[in-house]
Amino acid sequence: MSTSSTASGATSRASTTGSGIVVNGVARSFGTVHAVRDVTFSAPEGRVTGLIGPNGSGKTTLLLMLATLLVPDRGSISVAGHDPVAEPSAVRAAMGWMPDVLGSWSALTVRATLELTGRLYRFDRARAAARATELIDLVDLAEQADQPTRVLSRGQKQRLSLARALVHDPRVLLLDEPASGLDPGARVALRVLVRRLASEGRTIIVSSHVLAELDEMADDAVYLEAGVSASADEIAATRTSMRDWRVRSLDPDALRGALVSAGFPANEQRMEGAGVLVALPGEEAAAKLLAALVRKKVPISSFAPAVGDLEHTFLDLSGQEGAR
Amino acid sequence: MSFFGGLWTITEIELRQRVRGTAWWILLGVFVGLILLVTAILTYAFGAWTDDEGSGGAIYSVIIYFVLLLATLVTPALSGNSINGDRDNGTLATTQVTLVSTPQLVLGKFLAAWISSLVFLIAAVPFILWSFALGGTKPEVVVVSIIVLAAELAVVSAIGVGLSGLMRRPLFSVAVTYLLVAMLSIGTLIFYSLGGLLLQQHVTVTDNYVDYSDPDLEFDAQGNPIDPECIEQTYDTTVPRWDAVWWMLAANPYVVLADAVPTTYTSNGGITDMFGSIKVGVRSAQLPPTYLTGYDECAALAAGDDRYESAKEIIDRTTPGWLVGLLIHLALAVAALAGAIAVTHAPARRLAPGSRVA
Repeated sequence: MSTSSTASGATSRASTTGSGIVVNGVARSFGTVHAVRDVTFSAPEGRVTGLIGPNGSGKTTLLLMLATLLVPDRGSISVAGHDPVAEPSAVRAAMGWMPDVLGSWSALTVRATLELTGRLYRFDRARAAARATELIDLVDLAEQADQPTRVLSRGQKQRLSLARALVHDPRVLLLDEPASGLDPGARVALRVLVRRLASEGRTIIVSSHVLAELDEMADDAVYLEAGVSASADEIAATRTSMRDWRVRSLDPDALRGALVSAGFPANEQRMEGAGVLVALPGEEAAAKLLAALVRKKVPISSFAPAVGDLEHTFLDLSGQEGAR
Repeated sequence: MSFFGGLWTITEIELRQRVRGTAWWILLGVFVGLILLVTAILTYAFGAWTDDEGSGGAIYSVIIYFVLLLATLVTPALSGNSINGDRDNGTLATTQVTLVSTPQLVLGKFLAAWISSLVFLIAAVPFILWSFALGGTKPEVVVVSIIVLAAELAVVSAIGVGLSGLMRRPLFSVAVTYLLVAMLSIGTLIFYSLGGLLLQQHVTVTDNYVDYSDPDLEFDAQGNPIDPECIEQTYDTTVPRWDAVWWMLAANPYVVLADAVPTTYTSNGGITDMFGSIKVGVRSAQLPPTYLTGYDECAALAAGDDRYESAKEIIDRTTPGWLVGLLIHLALAVAALAGAIAVTHAPARRLAPGSRVA
């Protein structure tokens, strides 16, 4: 994740119909529950777009509409140039979906699951078998390949689910909470794989509420709050809002003294672990403070935002206190 | 890949996923054990190792009915959760985002349910053949009864799969499938009886009787009265109209089976076995009650009519009940599957409250 998470999509009342994903004014309710109320964004090819929002903000409902499973009440969707409602088959041929629910045919082996999925995509037996072998290597399930899927651990099931989404080599990937249940090693492998898939020109949407995870993976971000996507103005406003920076020094006493003389009295400094937290209104102020501290010869070892960019934007948009 | 290629892939997944469980084998073992028990008891009780042809036919009828009973009890368990069970397991939506269509999905599951219930029928075939070997049953009866059994299992499988698509909760759809099987097997008898009573007709009947109390009455060599005095008797009565509700009886799978098998008649057109007696009973229900207009014994005697039609005559001149029954079953099966296809279609416009797509 680059420093500026400019949620490029939110700017355009999207009109282009490229091979990526374009969502315009989409809403969907279930009875009286308005799961998605007004979502507009576009996800271009070759980039990873993070879908960020608290539990119940409509991420999964939105992905179900992209995955040709739900009809939106309002608005328009284009996935790989096709409308999921009017041309579901065309969308399905180009789209791979990894659901947040871990379902598998429990009595079938990993290999059989992938082969049969391939045949559901109209592969012949030989091609389905070859593709299954490739995918088993890709997601590192070789040891479990001939075991029934019910014995897989959560993380292994998650990787099987990813492999299933990739069976037909889709140009668009929808990943709903792909990293939940993965150990750190598998998480890194997932990140490398997702980046590689994007670099091959695919459109990838990753939803998560673990923001640190998306920080490492996503190029752009779409923020959802109560079923509404944040506008570009709202996101820009978070750039200048107050935000905590963590400063560490080899000489904590010198640091605190220097901070006081830089205009941060002791009651505005908060100790946290080995560092001191100070609230700053944006990156310019941060740069000035760092320069001042260095001029005073304070031995600074670390100077960074206390929370990631995505988390800061997310918390600020949802108006939570911790956003500062 | 053709329509059937995709359909068969679904069937293969179903068979490999569901059928290979230990529970299925245990069920099959219990099924075979019960039929073995019943066959052994019947064979012993009827003393069928003698050359008595009649008991062979009776054993055959009972065993076929027992197979039908057990198979219709097992099939809902095999089919009644195939769609909503997948929804619960999170494997339905991942199948629906592939290139398989909803008709392929639902019909593939139906085919799998039918195949797995046919395995139970195949397991019963040795016992059917054994009771055939005891004598008294014609080969065409065996062929027709196995075909009808297979058709009835298709109907129950279709209803089970259909309801599993129409209802969200597996427990509920399995239970409703059982209720429908009970409705067809027992409910049809109850509603037939109730329907006949409900549709009772008030009639004024004029009967003409021979006055057998006349001391001067003489009889001919056949025992028929010669030139009798006739007494006219008029009275009001209510008549149940079985002929308006007979189709309910025809929708009973046991009746369909009995009605479909070719009947063996005695030389004077009577029936010889259990299936035949059920068949003639159901066919007679189609006829309007004779006493709607009254019975004229004297006229019948004068015309030299037989007093009663033979079973063969009734069966020959009435509508084939098995055809009506199978058409009713076919309509139920098609409605269930079509309903499931419509409800399961993705992208979904409407969802039942509290349900989840994935």
